[in-house]
Amino acid sequence: MIRGTVVGQLWATRKARGLDGQKLLLIAARDADGRTTGRLVVASDVIDARAGEDVTVAFGSGARNVLRPGGGDRDVLCDAAVAAIVEGAG
Amino acid sequence: MFLGRVAGTVWSTVKWPQAVGIKLLLVRPYRLGDLPPGTAAGPTGATGSEPVDDLVVCADTLDAGPGDDVIVAFGHAARVAVSEKLAPGSKPMVPIDAAVVAIVDRVDLPGGGE
Repeated sequence: MIRGTVVGQLWATRKARGLDGQKLLLIAARDADGRTTGRLVVASDVIDARAGEDVTVAFGSGARNVLRPGGGDRDVLCDAAVAAIVEGAG
Repeated sequence: MFLGRVAGTVWSTVKWPQAVGIKLLLVRPYRLGDLPPGTAAGPTGATGSEPVDDLVVCADTLDAGPGDDVIVAFGHAARVAVSEKLAPGSKPMVPIDAAVVAIVDRVDLPGGGE
């Protein structure tokens, strides 16, 4: 997982069917010292994160677990998902 | 997933049989420094002086073209997107690990314009 800050939201009409209904956020990654690294990731969001909030992002099968907990998620089109809204880090 | 701009197309003749017929694009990932100043990442934001990332070769099932802003998924999610274009019930057994999954219409950047 990574930690980052939500910088915006993406909108797309032409997309793969598996993305229908997914809210997609643009997130700036941060390093161990809390500085932005320059890397931007796009993640699916089901916990209603807002611009300016710090979040954790899970990748791969961990991301599919966020979208569909409990298994049977091999058909889910998602490789990154907001897993938590961060309140503090040290 | 990442946000990028389509920079070009890749052709190949010799390839794995399951990859025949899949269009390949070159996509340049956006960096934080490419966004307008004032976005929600705050004052510690990158300066834009970082080296440009490698271009990523992606399968395209949405007919994106040079100049389009796209979302690219990696790994299993990329194969799920490609398999939507295969015959029903087909398993996504293709040598693909990155695919265009959306063509972006709009990016809302609170504090940084659009």
